[in-house]
Amino acid sequence: MRSPYDAAFDALERSAAAPADLAVPFVDAFPVSGASVSTLGELLGSETISATDAQAARLDELQFDLGEGPCWDAMRSMRPVLMTDVRTESRQAWPTLSGAIDPDRLGSLFAFPLVFGPLRIGAVDLYSVEPVRLNPDQARRAGAMADVVSRHVLRHALNTSENEFDERPSLHSRRVIHQATGFVLAQLDISPDDARLVIQGHAFATSRSMMDIADDIVAGRMSFIRNAGGIEVSS
Amino acid sequence: MTDGITREKQLLQTFATLADTLVEGYDVVDLLQLLVDSCKDLLDTTAAAILLADPSGELDVVASTSEASRLVELIQLGAEAGPCVESFRTGKVISVPDIRLAPDRWSGFRDGATVQGFASVHAIPMRLRENRIGTLNLLRETTGELDPQDQLTAQAFADVATIGILHERTLRESTLLTEQLERALGSRVVIEQAKGVVAHTRGVGVEEAFDRIRTYARSHRLGISQVASQIVDRSLSLPD
Repeated sequence: MRSPYDAAFDALERSAAAPADLAVPFVDAFPVSGASVSTLGELLGSETISATDAQAARLDELQFDLGEGPCWDAMRSMRPVLMTDVRTESRQAWPTLSGAIDPDRLGSLFAFPLVFGPLRIGAVDLYSVEPVRLNPDQARRAGAMADVVSRHVLRHALNTSENEFDERPSLHSRRVIHQATGFVLAQLDISPDDARLVIQGHAFATSRSMMDIADDIVAGRMSFIRNAGGIEVSS
Repeated sequence: MTDGITREKQLLQTFATLADTLVEGYDVVDLLQLLVDSCKDLLDTTAAAILLADPSGELDVVASTSEASRLVELIQLGAEAGPCVESFRTGKVISVPDIRLAPDRWSGFRDGATVQGFASVHAIPMRLRENRIGTLNLLRETTGELDPQDQLTAQAFADVATIGILHERTLRESTLLTEQLERALGSRVVIEQAKGVVAHTRGVGVEEAFDRIRTYARSHRLGISQVASQIVDRSLSLPD
C-alpha cells in the first residue's frame, strides 16, 4: 500500500515546473499545520519560494528580518532543527524571534536544510499550532523530501538567472564539461545529472563559467569531497 | 606505405569487418571509430575525424584517430569556420591542398592546423540524397591533393558510415534520422563522462582513459558506448 509519504514524494518529483507548490507535499505527508520553502543567504538571496498559508510565510519573513530562527540554524549546520515545544524551548535558542511570535498559534517548529553539493541554498520550515513530535522516520523522510526540493530550487534559480559567464559553451567546452561531470559523479557517487548540477551550481556561486570550473576539475586542480560535514570543494 | 596487393587485402578486410559491424543493435560510435582508424591505417593521412550534425545543424566530433584535445579542438574549429563545415553545407568534397593558403575567414582553423604540423586537408560530406548528416575529415602532414585512389576509398568509407547510420534508422522505422544522430551524439556525451570517471578513479589522463575503455570494450566484444554507460552508472569498474 502506498503511504501518504510516497504520494507526497511523487508530487515533489513532478512539481519541477511550479516552484510555488513545493511546500504543499510536506503538509500532506506530515502532521503539521503549514510549510514553507525559502532560499537564504548570499547565494540566491533570502526569499520565500512557496508557503502553504499566511502564517508560514510570516514565519519566514520574521526569520529573514531578524537573522535568526530554525531555517538559519538548519542551513548553517546542514542538519535538521526539530523543536517540539516552541513555548518552552525557543527563548533560549532564538531570543529575538521568540519575542516576536504568538505562543498561542505556534506549538512546534521544524526546519530542514536545502543543500546541494557544497552549496547551502535555504531551508524548508514546518510549523504546527499544537505541539507535535516528528518521529525519527518522519524526520528522515522530510529530509529526503528537502533534498528533492534542493535540486528543484537550484535548477530553477540557474535556469532563470542570467549568468553572463555561460553564454553557450563552445563544442570543445562541452566535451570538457562532460568529462568533468564524469570526475564529479565518481568523486561523489551521484548521477550524471546531479554531477552536472554540482558544476553548474559551483560556477554560479563563484561567478565563473562552467568551462572554467570544468577545466580545473579535469586538470585535477579542483575536486569535490564528501565528508561528515557535507560536501566540500578542495582546490 | 604498403604494397598494392597487401593494401588491397587490408581494404577488403576492412570492408568485411565493417559489414560484420552492421548487424542489428550495433554501436554507431564503434563503427565510426573503426572508420577513422581505417583511414589512418590504410590511406595516406595523418589524422582523421568524423563530425555529425546535431538537430540545430551544429557539427560535433563523434570519432577521431586521437582523443588529444588539440586535435579535437582543431577539428571543431574547422566545424565552426573551415573545410569541415563547408563540406557539410555544400554537400561537396572540399579539398585544401595547402592549408597555409586557406582564406582568412578560416584563419582559426588554418593557424591551428599549421601549428600542429598539418599541411593539407580533405573533407568529405556524409550524405544520402537530401540527407546531410556530417563529414569525414582527413588531415595530412604533406601538401597536395589526396591520391585519387585514396579519395575513392575515403568516399567509400564516408558512404559506409552514412549508410550505417541511416541503416540503423530503417531497422526501427518509427525513429527519425535526427533521433539517430542525437543518439550517436548522446553516446559521445556518455563516453566523455566515462572518460572522466576512469581518469578520476584510475588517476590517468583523459586520453589514457579512453584507450582503457576501448581496450576493455574490444577484449569483451562490447560496444564502446555500452561500456561507457556501464561505467557512468557505476555498474562496471575497469580493472587496473
